[in-house]
Amino acid sequence: MSRVKKKVRARDRVHKRRADEKLAGLGKAVIEDILHTRPPKLKIPSRSTANIIYDETSRYFVLGSRYGVRSAGSMKQVKKFAQLMCAADFSKELIESKKLATLREMYYTAEGWDAGPFRDQGESDGNIEDLEATFGLKREDLGLTPEEDGAAVYGRLVVNEEGVVIDATKAGRGGYTIPPTIDDVELARCKAKRVIAIETMGMYHRLVQEKAWKKFDALIVGLKGQAARATRRFLKRAHEELGLPIHLFCDGDPFGFHIAMVIISGSAKLAYINHELAVPDAQFIGVTASDIVDYKLPTDKLRELDVNRLKQLQKDPRYNTEFWQGEIKKMLELGKKAEQQAFSKYGLSYVVKEYLPAKLGLKG
Amino acid sequence: MKTMAEELFKEFREHSVSEFFRKNAAMLGYTGKIRSLTTVVHEGVTNAIDAAEEAGVLPKIFVAIKRINEEPEHFKVVIEDNASGIPEEYIPNVFGKMLAGTKLHRHVQSRGQQGIGVSGSVMFGQITSGKPTTVITSTGNGEIIRADVMIDVNRNEGKVMNAKKLKGKWRGTRVEVEAKDVTYMRSRYGPFNYLRMTAIANPHIHITFVEPDGKLTIFEHATNEVPERPKPMPLHPWGIMSDDLLVLAKHTKGRTMASFLATELSRVSKRKAKDVLNLSGVKVNKKPAELTWEEAEHIVSAFKQVKLIAPPTSGLRPIGAADIKNGIRQILRPEFTYATTRSPKVYRGGLPFIVEAGIAYGGGAGKTVEGKDEGEEIEIEAGMELIRFANRAPLIFDQGGCAITSAARNIDWRRYGVDVSAAPLTLFVNVVSAYVPYTSAGKQSIAEEPEIFDEIRSTVMDVARELRRFIYRKIRVKEQHERAGVFEQYLPVIARKAASLAGTKQPDIKPLLKKVTGVESEEES
Repeated sequence: MSRVKKKVRARDRVHKRRADEKLAGLGKAVIEDILHTRPPKLKIPSRSTANIIYDETSRYFVLGSRYGVRSAGSMKQVKKFAQLMCAADFSKELIESKKLATLREMYYTAEGWDAGPFRDQGESDGNIEDLEATFGLKREDLGLTPEEDGAAVYGRLVVNEEGVVIDATKAGRGGYTIPPTIDDVELARCKAKRVIAIETMGMYHRLVQEKAWKKFDALIVGLKGQAARATRRFLKRAHEELGLPIHLFCDGDPFGFHIAMVIISGSAKLAYINHELAVPDAQFIGVTASDIVDYKLPTDKLRELDVNRLKQLQKDPRYNTEFWQGEIKKMLELGKKAEQQAFSKYGLSYVVKEYLPAKLGLKG
Repeated sequence: MKTMAEELFKEFREHSVSEFFRKNAAMLGYTGKIRSLTTVVHEGVTNAIDAAEEAGVLPKIFVAIKRINEEPEHFKVVIEDNASGIPEEYIPNVFGKMLAGTKLHRHVQSRGQQGIGVSGSVMFGQITSGKPTTVITSTGNGEIIRADVMIDVNRNEGKVMNAKKLKGKWRGTRVEVEAKDVTYMRSRYGPFNYLRMTAIANPHIHITFVEPDGKLTIFEHATNEVPERPKPMPLHPWGIMSDDLLVLAKHTKGRTMASFLATELSRVSKRKAKDVLNLSGVKVNKKPAELTWEEAEHIVSAFKQVKLIAPPTSGLRPIGAADIKNGIRQILRPEFTYATTRSPKVYRGGLPFIVEAGIAYGGGAGKTVEGKDEGEEIEIEAGMELIRFANRAPLIFDQGGCAITSAARNIDWRRYGVDVSAAPLTLFVNVVSAYVPYTSAGKQSIAEEPEIFDEIRSTVMDVARELRRFIYRKIRVKEQHERAGVFEQYLPVIARKAASLAGTKQPDIKPLLKKVTGVESEEES
């Protein structure tokens, strides 16, 4: 326990120090240019789609080698440059005062900046994304947090939120809510042996009621659809720090597939920070197209939207494995899809008693 | 081919003067309440300028319009010059005899109307108000003559009344015309704009103007040189037609065709004449009086096959680019002005003409003076203002049917960076010729002769090109200022924030600021 705690603290310190160093380095480089009467320039990795590359080795999207140069000597860019400097200084203040702010808060704070205000939230966020990409750091390291809460966790996990100790089995039926600031939370104690992440909250509550966490020694994570950044950070930490395998249980349709895939291989949009988010070892357990056939699940017909999406996924490099290609092809052939809750056909407990044990290889 | 003037003469002989005037009032410019008043001013001022120029003095003209008895349409127009004055015995002829001093049979570039001139004003005043015109004049001999002049309509003679002689050292002429049924307005068609345009086109003239409400305007002269007077000149073969040649042949003193062509036509030597006659198959020794229509036609076409020197410009008196600019600068005080005077060209009748144009941007340019009533003036930025001139005389009316207007409108102004509906722009065009082809006897618009139209268009495009250069330069300078402003705003922020991030002192931003704002678009990507 204390070993984990130290590790978390150390990791956090390292990240904060790295952010501090990077910010100071930016300031020094700019001053150096000014003293040499050179217009300060900044190389910012390009986040355009042309520069987003699927890295076969790490199995997630990364940024390529392209970058844009932002020059304070360009009339078009000098204001943006000043805004970036303001955002950097704002980040420095946050780190020094050990505060966290949301992107929305920064957007409003910028009203008072010398280079502000921003036209819209998007422009404001862009500055943080530029800093993240330039420094290779997460926005959380820069003192900025996402808006929304993460999902819920239920299971034998005890966390320490700066002195507040929470047992995820005693946090109510809803479980422990992953906060946006999950990186500051110490994963103090864990008796679980695996994580089962569930797409829908309906199935999450079913598993909690059926005591699946106990039965499978698992942390049950409710994703609430597309996983929030905080949830993904939690899954990544559970895998890396606690050494737990991650199992993903989603609807048997292209959207369920992709919810799982974003956890596994990251999104293209966040390619610059996927090394902090993606969990390439996470495993999709279902619902697969084969499950639809094998379990004779009640189905819906694939809509045009589903078919188009499946065809897109076929070409997506992240799905370029035998397993995925096979499942996508099969689903297209079936012309059918099925929800997680379709297992209720066989009774409410069926998914816990039969399906998951089979999928997790726990069937005795 | 009879000219309009010849028609007028004929009519004049057949009818009484007053009848003639009433019948032709519109042609003579006495139509409409505003225009009539402008015409009175025009005739007086034209006379004054011509008199001063002929005397070789810089014209200094005083114009006043006074309201009589608070009546809305009853005015007195006073015009005073500093010319040589008029000897007593000439007063009846100058002011009382219509068509007395006509120069119309000569091919001379003249400012005035049909020679009806100031006597028309006397007539107009007499008809509308019943009052004589008061003339005060002195040749500078210490004797000042004051007389009332009326026109004896039956005899077409001036009648001098109440003549008085006063002692005084002064030289010049002052004319006071009283007229009714006229309105004073500060519109494009009113006397104010007429005088303003006159001042622009005649930078050697000094005009003082007092409006009915007492408002005083002085149009200062911008040069001290009296322009040369125009001279009569012969026809040039380039544009000559068969009937012109026949008319000339009937009156020439030349005894042979060769000497006829060489004496009556411009730029034709005896040798050239012989060449042309040989080409056309007409005998060199033929008597001009026996010239036939067919032979005339051959000669006209033969002239097109020989080389000739361009028509003489001795009779043409353009204002000149420098003086157009002087006039524009003096009156409009623009940010930018440019003018050009092109080389002489010739059109249909073998008559040379010159087109000159000036352009003014910013300042008082493009601001036409408009008002609903006297005194109540509103300056409107109405976009491009076109001011037209023929032989320096302002063309104020009939703008729509004028070759100057259509040629100026024919240009795609956007190509020159100009939005004609909004730009603070005055375009000046002067057509100079001994024989300007007016569309009507009102002499307020120029006919669309193809050669003249094209020449106006080319000339206006010349000045528009210069304007474009100015406008683009202006845009560049503005951009440079904006550019400097942007850097002055944001570079210090960058420096301040960098110092805060690095935890050091703020670096001096001035050298970089100077470098970045001084260098044009070097860093632009």
